[in-house]
Amino acid sequence: MDILVNGFPEKTLEGISIRELIIRFEEGDVHLIVEHNGRFVYPRDYEKTRLSEGDRIEFINPNFGG
Amino acid sequence: MGSLSPEEESRYRRQMMLPEIGPEGQQKLKNARVFIAGLGGLGSISAFYLAAAGVGYLKIVDRDRVDPENLNRQILHRTRDIGRPKTDSAVEKLKDLNPFCRVHAVQAAIRADTVADLVDDCSIILDAVDDFDTRIILNRASLSKGIPFIFGGVNGFDGMTTTFVPGKTPCFECLFPQRPAHRETIGIIGPMPAVIAGIQSLEALKLLLRMPGLLTGRLLHVRGAEMSFKEIGLENNPGCTICEPYRKASPKG
Repeated sequence: MDILVNGFPEKTLEGISIRELIIRFEEGDVHLIVEHNGRFVYPRDYEKTRLSEGDRIEFINPNFGG
Repeated sequence: MGSLSPEEESRYRRQMMLPEIGPEGQQKLKNARVFIAGLGGLGSISAFYLAAAGVGYLKIVDRDRVDPENLNRQILHRTRDIGRPKTDSAVEKLKDLNPFCRVHAVQAAIRADTVADLVDDCSIILDAVDDFDTRIILNRASLSKGIPFIFGGVNGFDGMTTTFVPGKTPCFECLFPQRPAHRETIGIIGPMPAVIAGIQSLEALKLLLRMPGLLTGRLLHVRGAEMSFKEIGLENNPGCTICEPYRKASPKG
């Protein structure tokens, strides 16, 4: 199926989880922010959140400087 | 707390013209007490604007001294302040800006065993620190005292901010449940902390004025290099064990 990751089109398996997508994209920051169709996904929901055709995912690194 | 003097009315005239403020709102600001954690890039801006707006009492905390590499963004401090405690430098500038603002400076680290006393007399915690662990300490104090916590952080050309209200919104640890393994020195372009802390200051004033339209339930992510402002929706997180005990408590702010 086709989804958008960080604004770019990607082909993935049907129903891929956010956890699987993180592994595929090698996003390693423990504080990685995952935005799914404009909404924040809590880390405990990465496994159970399955993606659908046309979904938009953004991987965002949090900012902790002052 | 007394009413506004003619000198104060003159000073705040341009904001008192606003229907959201007026004499009543200005009096609310004068009676208000805000805790600002950190006097670096974010804290420089927040402390300046809140003092200028006539917030009656600011408690400002920072343990560091002014370093030359602070000066690209920490606009409270000057070349002549290098080596001075940031609190001393800040008090001087803030009193000079607005002598009607009482500034209580504490040159110390914010620790788990001291935070409760530090924030106790304030109705807002404004985050201007530069590390993760202190934000955890501030978040716990926000929850246990029922004080809104205005988060802001910057990195490079990026920044993010949201307003956490205990009992109403998710908390900092809902979003960031794990401690990072290490802390590194990051690059920052000067105007980014100004953008983020400008928004935080506005949120603080809106909270004090009891205005609606707060940045709650939304994480604002600013990308300065692309000049994009984007909101990420935050739903409540029933799985957070940190804020769960406080979820039914009513917030102070």
